[in-house]
Amino acid sequence: MRRSEQLLYRLLLLAFPAQARCEFGDDMARMFSEQLGEARAAGRSETRIWLSAAVDALRAGLAERFIPFHSRAVAARRESRRWRWWVHAFQQDVRYAFRLLLKQPGITAIAALTLALGIGANTAIFSAVNAVLLRPLPYPDAHRLVMLYEKRLKEGVLDNVVSPADFLDWVKMQQSFDGIAALTPTTVDLTGTGEPVRLFAGAVSPPFFEILGIVPSLGRSFLAEESVDGRDQVVVLGYKLWQEHYGKDAGIVGKKILLSGRPHEVVGVLPATFEFPDTTIGLWVPLSFANGGRPPTRTGHFLNVYGRMKKGVTVEQARGDMDRVGAQLEAQYPEANRNHGVHVADLRGEIQAPVKDGLLTLLAAVAFVLLIACVNVANLLLAKAAARRREMAVRAAVGAGRWRLAGQALTESVVLAILGGTAGLLVAYWGIEVLRQITPREVQVLGVDQLKLDPVVLGFTFALSIVSGLVFGLLPAWHLASQDVNESLKEGGRSPGGIRRRLRLSLVVSEIALASLLLVGAGLTLRSFQTVLQADPGSRQEGILTAYVSLPEVRYPDDAKRVAAFDEIEQRLAALPGVRTVGGTSHLPLSGQDSRTGVVIEGREPTPDTPTRAHPRAVTLDYFNTLGIRLIEGRNIAASDTGETPFVAVINETMAKRYWPGISPLGKRFFTAGGTVKREVIGVVSDVKHWGFDRPVNPEMYFPQRQMVWDGLTFVLATDVDPVTLTAAVREQLKTVDKDLPLSSVRTMAEVASRSVAARRSAMLLLGIFGALALVLAAAGIYAVMAQLVALRSAEIGVRLTLGAQPFTVMRLILREGLVHSVIGLALGLGTAVIVMRAFRGMLFRVSPADPLTLGGVALLLLATTALACMVPARRAMRVDPVKVLRF
Amino acid sequence: MTRAPHIPIDDYLPLKPLVFEVLLALVEGERHGWSLVRDVQQRGGFGRIMPGNFYRTLRGMLAEHLIEESPDRPALAEDDDRRRYFRLTELGEKVAAAEARRLQAAVLSARAKKLLTRRG
Repeated sequence: MRRSEQLLYRLLLLAFPAQARCEFGDDMARMFSEQLGEARAAGRSETRIWLSAAVDALRAGLAERFIPFHSRAVAARRESRRWRWWVHAFQQDVRYAFRLLLKQPGITAIAALTLALGIGANTAIFSAVNAVLLRPLPYPDAHRLVMLYEKRLKEGVLDNVVSPADFLDWVKMQQSFDGIAALTPTTVDLTGTGEPVRLFAGAVSPPFFEILGIVPSLGRSFLAEESVDGRDQVVVLGYKLWQEHYGKDAGIVGKKILLSGRPHEVVGVLPATFEFPDTTIGLWVPLSFANGGRPPTRTGHFLNVYGRMKKGVTVEQARGDMDRVGAQLEAQYPEANRNHGVHVADLRGEIQAPVKDGLLTLLAAVAFVLLIACVNVANLLLAKAAARRREMAVRAAVGAGRWRLAGQALTESVVLAILGGTAGLLVAYWGIEVLRQITPREVQVLGVDQLKLDPVVLGFTFALSIVSGLVFGLLPAWHLASQDVNESLKEGGRSPGGIRRRLRLSLVVSEIALASLLLVGAGLTLRSFQTVLQADPGSRQEGILTAYVSLPEVRYPDDAKRVAAFDEIEQRLAALPGVRTVGGTSHLPLSGQDSRTGVVIEGREPTPDTPTRAHPRAVTLDYFNTLGIRLIEGRNIAASDTGETPFVAVINETMAKRYWPGISPLGKRFFTAGGTVKREVIGVVSDVKHWGFDRPVNPEMYFPQRQMVWDGLTFVLATDVDPVTLTAAVREQLKTVDKDLPLSSVRTMAEVASRSVAARRSAMLLLGIFGALALVLAAAGIYAVMAQLVALRSAEIGVRLTLGAQPFTVMRLILREGLVHSVIGLALGLGTAVIVMRAFRGMLFRVSPADPLTLGGVALLLLATTALACMVPARRAMRVDPVKVLRF
Repeated sequence: MTRAPHIPIDDYLPLKPLVFEVLLALVEGERHGWSLVRDVQQRGGFGRIMPGNFYRTLRGMLAEHLIEESPDRPALAEDDDRRRYFRLTELGEKVAAAEARRLQAAVLSARAKKLLTRRG
């Protein structure tokens, strides 16, 4: 090969990386030279062999640069081999871990159980978080769904319900929604098929289901014209009602059913999958805006408004649009809409709002429980690690890398954690049952029925197990891997104090800190609950039975008939043996029933910036007396206050103080119902907690039932006997008056009150459970640490005793050690708790995050627990036999 | 020299034809690159083997521990000190044998199905 040819070939070889050129460049050049020589000798074309050489150099060279080794296939195989090697090592580790864990079944069981409690509790709470917060809303394109409220910034109210007139104007004026619809809950009596039943119904404006994106599984939803009075006698059944009451009758559509005495045509049935936050609603009727011939009201507020934004419209844009609408309406109706605007809020956020904080708090609480569990297990493993120092040292000495050793230790922890997690699933299964039981039905939130161990939850449990394993395994693993091989071998397996002692004691500190944090949370919630319960409800709770009765409009069309019926019921109930007095009210305290209206005070110019409003209630003569509501001044409602006599009102203290500050309201007059009805104040009664024990009292006014006849009344019976025993008799009496009166809720007042605090009670109960769990785990952990430390120090204790130390001194020594570290942990935990609980102030009621009683109680509890946990090891230390321990 | 990680022999199969031929050529003893090429080409079936492809294959086989560079050299007279000699490793021999058995099995099964006789 000529020099020029050699140069040319060398140029071609530049395609190869330098290393390959260096290694085989000469060989390749030589080989090509021989090939070229052969080709010449055989008289073959030189051009062709050069061409081949160029292609070959480029192809192989570039492959060498970009694909390591001589082929992609081998590279892939090599990868899979490396991977297989790891899998193999991992399998070995897992097998070894199982062998080790089985070798000490006691310790393994304790550790797994501890973890099972922690992981199980987390799984249960996470299943709720998953079902309620993480699951998308069960409506198509749910991100476009919003709720629209009346906004009253001056009063700090963002989510007021909407008046029909405003709603109708919004529908006409808005530009950013595919549609908006209104809903108001109502009740209907279903008669004509067996026992009359009272049902909750959703009265909705026709596009409601289209807006949610729900298509009935049978029939259709409402037509636009069905919101007009006279055309509105149609009904869409909820799946459950259709199933339970009509046996899934496939031919139900088109049939007529009797609702509150009027025939309604069933036009549709909702699918089984349909979910709505208010689960009490069993059927749906069109919302009619007829207002007895008058235009729809702008001052009566009772509509919940739902909207579906047009595609591509953001919540901000919708807000801008509705701000414009609100401003226009305010200008147009300065009387009714002064300072009113429109608030647009994401539906998902609105639905989750009532439970979000509570759920996240619970999740944080269980996370703490798990952390404590992890600390416990870490301590157990540290103790095991001490016993295995020699084994590890030997393995290190014969060539096991630190990473390999640490990896093996970590594998063991993760295997243990997965065992714990698996057992935790049982705990979770049970926990979810408990959650279902204590979930208050009153909380309107989607997803409560979806609590289950679904794949997402199982994935969470698995991931959590692995993370826990890493968390509690890291410390012992690091400890094993970082030990000095020489030292460990020299010690011959005996374990010294030193670092491990400090490490162990720091575990005590962290357990106490974590437990105190959680216990403070639980304690403050408990104190809030107590305070709530102790708050004076203003009405009698014990020995009261309540019964709601509603009269169907068809059979009781006018006030006279209703008054007569209510009078008869009241008399019959009062005649029951064991009943002292009977009263009736349109709105029972703590029951959630409510209504509100504007009032105009005579002789006072209405100031729209500070509107005067009050909550009206119709009551019968003996109502105040029965519920123990005190008359403060003036007179009670009398039998002589009828529809024919001047209209009167008894007001609550709050109303008296707010609207007639400093003077007696007796004899003062005010107007209701848009100024059409004038009433004179005849008496003032004590405040009643109507909206909940933990809610402020608003102005309330009580009207004689004869002067404001509602179609439904809740009777309250003060009884001499256990009120529950009268339930059947009450129902019997109601039937005697009218056999078609629907069965309605007959409950004791205590039950009503208890339901009103159900959410708070559930939260307290759960936090209490987690707090107790944390306490038990922490106690077990501290006991374990102290017991091990005493065991480690037995030689030292033996020396002390030999040198004349009193056993009591030795015990004090151990106790002091435990308590000092508890105090450090307490200081850390309580300090953090006060800061953290500030963020959760909303969950507290009249209790400061730094409540001294709670903090003190928690501190005492934990110190006592520590002392108790230290006592057993301390006593053991006291009884150390110097001769025995010093011999070894 | 680093030891080959423990990998089942079957994982190397099937071998690329050139790899198998090189291993076969080395069974008789160590060889340098060009003589390997000649040997392989003489057995036929490959057409012209170009240097780039050939040495890349060798590099791969070295990395896979199928062959190794031989420190032993032939008697001085025959030696060209610029040439590098290669020999089979124990692994290479096993892999080659395994591949041969695999091919044999294929041939036997082809014969059993009268594929070979039919074609003559």
